Amino acid sequence: MKVDTKPLVQECRLDLCIQCGTCSGGCPVKFRSPLNMRRLVRENRITSDASEILKRSELWACTTCSTCTLRCPAGVKNVEMIMGLRNILARQGDIPSTLRDALESTLLQGNPWGRFRDRRADWAKDLGVKVAGEAKAETLLYVGCTPSYDPRIQTISKALVRILQKAEIDFVILGKKESCCGNEIRRMGEQTLFKKLVKDNSAQFQKSGCKKMIVVSPHCFNAFRNDYPDMGIQIEHYTQTIARLIETEKLRGAKRLEIRATYQDPCFLGKQNKIFDEPRKILSSIPGLDFVEMDRSRERSLCCEGGGGRMWVEGGTEGVRNGEIRVREALALGANVIATACPFCLLTFEDAAKTAGLSEQIAVKDLTELVTESMEG
Amino acid sequence: MNIAVCVKRIPKTAEADILIEKDGKDIKKDHLVFTLNDWDGYAVREAVLLKEKHGGTVTVITVGPEESKEVLTRCLAMGADKALRIEEPPSPDGHLIARILFHAVKNESFDLILTGVQAEDDNFGQVGVSLARMLGLPHAAITNHVEIEAGRALARRELEGGIDEVVELKLPAVLTIQTGINEPKYVSLAAILEAEDKEIKEIELAETGLDSAVPLDVTIEQVFFPPVGKAAEILKGNPEEIVSQLTEIIKKKKG
Repeated sequence: MKVDTKPLVQECRLDLCIQCGTCSGGCPVKFRSPLNMRRLVRENRITSDASEILKRSELWACTTCSTCTLRCPAGVKNVEMIMGLRNILARQGDIPSTLRDALESTLLQGNPWGRFRDRRADWAKDLGVKVAGEAKAETLLYVGCTPSYDPRIQTISKALVRILQKAEIDFVILGKKESCCGNEIRRMGEQTLFKKLVKDNSAQFQKSGCKKMIVVSPHCFNAFRNDYPDMGIQIEHYTQTIARLIETEKLRGAKRLEIRATYQDPCFLGKQNKIFDEPRKILSSIPGLDFVEMDRSRERSLCCEGGGGRMWVEGGTEGVRNGEIRVREALALGANVIATACPFCLLTFEDAAKTAGLSEQIAVKDLTELVTESMEG
Repeated sequence: MNIAVCVKRIPKTAEADILIEKDGKDIKKDHLVFTLNDWDGYAVREAVLLKEKHGGTVTVITVGPEESKEVLTRCLAMGADKALRIEEPPSPDGHLIARILFHAVKNESFDLILTGVQAEDDNFGQVGVSLARMLGLPHAAITNHVEIEAGRALARRELEGGIDEVVELKLPAVLTIQTGINEPKYVSLAAILEAEDKEIKEIELAETGLDSAVPLDVTIEQVFFPPVGKAAEILKGNPEEIVSQLTEIIKKKKG
């Protein structure tokens, strides 16, 4: 079946491409997969039928980190092109089976992890967290799927709750009624499901009556900030909240943490949303912590490979994982902690440290974990 | 080639909290999500693949309440051409379901009738084979591969002990389809929304020619959790604690 590329050329501005190669030059999976962004843009530009291009499995290798789009001097929307191609594949039903399960689970249970909706707020049991509908507050804590269900990442949610409680911030969660933000869903190519999630979630947020929202994952934060229509709610990533609490002295580290730590800028928080300073302010405020910066930091931070639905894709890449490269870069600086502020970075790095046999030498931690360790002295 | 596929809407219970109703005759379902029975999904996909190869139409049929329409819509989104719903409350009586289906298809000219091997909820596994018996048609149960050639179906059946057998059946025939027979496609929400505009024929039980007061052959007496066996030890604690306990047990058993 012929697949017309004209809409893609127009929407993603492929005709502006000057073939400079900046996109493929900065791609974090270029050594790990056959994905060649420069060639892909050109091919989609000149062909009238994308059906052969759609057969390439490397279309699923893109992490949607957006380095290419952000660096493109001509304004080509490379990542939108990838999502557009994936959207055609999703519509045809031709997607990797692990993504299929993730998408079906999102439609049925409101999360891509195949977990039961009613268990979504189990992590918050015994923490004294209020649930919207039963209580009211100005601030909504949007937890997200991975921080709700993944046992390792639940520690972030729990730590953040303790921080907010310590700073006496009145907040509610949506509990069982919270659903996936859709950031990864959109990037897997399921645009229609994404639209449904936007509609359902916006209604839930309005119903809660909250005026502010604190978000755990940079991926959800990105969706609410850039992919959702304006909901009249002030949206904040938790690093912004904590940095402000430290600045206004509502939160203070009590215990010295004698560690040398570096920081991984998550793509969806850093390069895509320009939140670079707050995480560093948080780290610098922790007594005893020696903060060291990796060479590739801020806009140049190397993607952990967890975005763009990659958490649900098996294989498709080869060679040394970016996670391992990153952990080794941190170790070379003498760091014994690599801190981050994203569930996916944390999971991919911790996995890389373990498989590379480096987990005795370096710990992977979320900023909330370091803050609570110091705060609770 | 005209194919009928009999499908069922089932509650998803994996991971869910299972609670038993007060009367002890069923599980509570109001907090569960419902979807197409997994086996039936493979059957519909197989029917659509056979249609692509040999032409014809695919008709999906369900016996169930109004809500069952959603699984028919899903089947239409998967490539089925026609859909029929026969109004009847969910029943544990597979024999009754087979009788209803028999009355619905007996005057139609289907070359092939597919069902899932069993349903995820009650696991009786008898609708397909009972239906074949009622229709007087040859059947193959637990089919994991099928080829159609010159009015015959070559069906590969999954037997115990890792053995497969191939049977040849004269069409029309009934096959109960095993999971893994094909690779199911993703059914996008856009495809489902589009399929919502397609027609679903809905009829009352009486319209099949069957009396609505047919007594049930099977009723559920009691559902209960199996008693916890003595050999089972449930480890408690956080994941780290559980892992270290488990490691100790494995070390001990290893000797």
